[in-house]
Order: sequence, then structure tokens, then C-alpha cells
Amino acid sequence: MAASSTKDIKIRIKSVQSTMQITKAMELVASSKLRRAKERAEATRPYFTTLHQTLSDIAYSNTEFFSPFVQKREVKKVCCVIIAGDRGLAGGYNSNLFKAVAGAMEGKTLCALPIGKKAVEYCVHRGIEMVNDRYTSVEDLTLRDCFSIARLLCDQFRQGAFDELHVGYTNFVSMLSQQPAVLKLLPIHYDRKEAKNRAESLLEYEPSSQAVYDAIVPEYVGGLLWGAVAESLASELGARRTAMDAASKNAGEMIDDLSLKYNRARQGAITQEITEIVAGAEA
Amino acid sequence: MTTFHLQIVTPDGGFYDGDAEKLIVRALGGDVCILPRHAPYVTALGTGQATVVIDGQRRTAACAGGMLAVTKDDVRLVATTFEWAEDIDKNRAQRAKEEAERRIQSAKDGAELEMAKAKLSRALARIKAAG
Repeated sequence: MAASSTKDIKIRIKSVQSTMQITKAMELVASSKLRRAKERAEATRPYFTTLHQTLSDIAYSNTEFFSPFVQKREVKKVCCVIIAGDRGLAGGYNSNLFKAVAGAMEGKTLCALPIGKKAVEYCVHRGIEMVNDRYTSVEDLTLRDCFSIARLLCDQFRQGAFDELHVGYTNFVSMLSQQPAVLKLLPIHYDRKEAKNRAESLLEYEPSSQAVYDAIVPEYVGGLLWGAVAESLASELGARRTAMDAASKNAGEMIDDLSLKYNRARQGAITQEITEIVAGAEA
Repeated sequence: MTTFHLQIVTPDGGFYDGDAEKLIVRALGGDVCILPRHAPYVTALGTGQATVVIDGQRRTAACAGGMLAVTKDDVRLVATTFEWAEDIDKNRAQRAKEEAERRIQSAKDGAELEMAKAKLSRALARIKAAG
């Protein structure tokens, strides 16, 4: 009995050790990738804020035209770009995002453009209509992909395929905290107060305000998507690093616990053997 | 010489933030030159060469997509791609040009042709900017 239980414990320890090796390796990979992703997310921020500020200024000082991109419509159908991860093992990263998206989109007719394998799986599982499911890898998504997605969605928006465009992504707050968020991209909403004092004078457009707007809006959506992808990727890696760190710690604790049990069982087996020998000698 | 505040940003990060004397970029309708005290102005950018004069020094770059916004206080160049001439890999641009030319030959539909043409114009802008 004692011999078999020490053997069982030994096998358990081995298996926990090999799991720990994997979680350790994943943690290391995630933290090295995280540094790059964080730099990228930080590098995109000035582009995004400048882009947003400029568009607010234009919209504020604009009085002469009516663009379909700013006009509010009756909301019959909503499109949401869902940016999730390529794989799990990142704590609640994917499920938190899906919960946030489901919460924000409740009661609306939804179509989605999933980015990342998990997002595609989610849409298939839930039976959500997909604009397309080509973007199965967040990590390999390029700036050009973002712009072609933006052009596609802007075209569909203009044709009236949907009346609102949202993006569901995860904000990289810090290494330890990631916040899922849903942001409305189209129709563009401007905070009038924000743009005040900046653009009091009339702007000149070339070749025409309409043409400028039509060229800029897809650019704006693409830039925004790119920023959201960068934030999400950093968040995913951050979440994975934290999850894997916790898993490695748990595995370490388990190994300690099991080693103690193993030593006790071994000690017990030796004591028993000695007692048996002594008893045998006495008899 | 009078200067204006110029800000150049791209999705890959900020490129320039400081004073400049002159800026020439390719807009949708052709080249535009911005000098200090320009009237408020907005345009979308095409693909082409950009020239910035900073402290009397001319710097050229390849610039594609995005927009140019001139307000009372500053000039913002929000570009999709922006590369200084010295950072351009000329061989790569040459290869991209040949690749784009091949694609134009083999394009099956209008969208593909448009993409290939855009790629070609970007490659040409790079080659030209690199000198």
C-alpha cells in the first residue's frame, strides 16, 4: 500500500512539474512579447489623439455640408468589430470582452466582424452574422489590413447595410489591469465642448469639404481600429502573463505540498519495514 | 525667419514635433506648400514626396495617405505612412515597384487593379524621395 502511494505521488509531481514548465515558458514568451506590444500601443496613441482632435475641430467648425458619416439614423442594425485573442490561457481576457460586447449590444440586431480566432469561434457559436471571418490572427494583423477593413465597413455603412459601427476591444490600463470597452465609431459623435476655442475661424477645404471628409473618415476608422488592435494585443499578453504567473505559483505550491506527502509516505514505509524486521527478529 | 509649429504623426509613432519654415506635401489635387501664417485649411493627402524645411535644412520624405490640417496655432500632418529619405530602403522599394507592376499585369478585377496601382505609386514615391 505504502509503495504504490509513493509511486502515485511521484507521478503526480512529475506531471505538475511538466505543466509548470509549460506555464513558465508561456509566461516568459508573453512578457517578452508584451514589452513590444506595449511600446506599439504607446506609439499609436499620439497618432490617434491628433487624428481625433483634428476631426473634432473640422466637425465643429463645419457648417456647410451634411455627411452620411455624421448624420444620425434610425438604428435598425448594428455592426460590431470584436477584437479578441487568438488563443485562451489568458485568464478572463476573452470572456470578459465577450460579456462586455454582449451587454452593450443587447436587444439590437447585430452583425460582427471578428478579429482573432476566439472572436470568430464566439460568433460561430452564438450564430452571429459575420461580415467576414478572414481575420483569424490578431498578432499578424497589419496596418494595411486595418485600413482595408475600415474601407469595407465605411462603404457598407454608406450603403446602409448597418446604421451604427462599434468596436469591442480591451483597454491596456496597466500591466495588471485590462478593461474591456465598446466604442462607437460611426456615425461620428463630437463633443462640442472639446473642440471649442480651437477652431473659431472658418476652414478652407480642398478640393471640397465632401471629398475631404470621404477620404478622411475611412482613414480615421482605420487608425482607430489599429489603435484598438494594439491596445487589445497588449492587454491579451498582459492578461496571459498574469494568468500564467498565477498558474506557475500554484504549481509550485502543489509540488511543495506533494513533496511533503511523498516524504511522509516514504518515511512511513521505512518505519513500517523496520518494525516488521524487528518484530520478525524478536519472534 | 518666421516658423510655424509642425506636428507629424503616423500609426507607428510620432515623427516630428517642432518648428518648421516650410512644408510641401502631395494632396489629393496636387502639391501644396504651407508657409507660416497660412489660413486655416484642411485637405486629404495623396501619395507622394514631402519636403520639410527646418532651420534652413531641406529634408525629404515619402508620405502616403492621411490628412493635413492647418489651424491658427499649428500644422498637423496625420499620415498613414511617413518615411524620411534616409530611412528608405531603396532596394526594397525597387522590388515593391516590380511586384506592383507584375500585379497590374495580372489583375483580374477593378479592386485588384486599384490596389496594385496604389502599391506602385507608393513604391514610386519612395524611390523618388530616396533620390
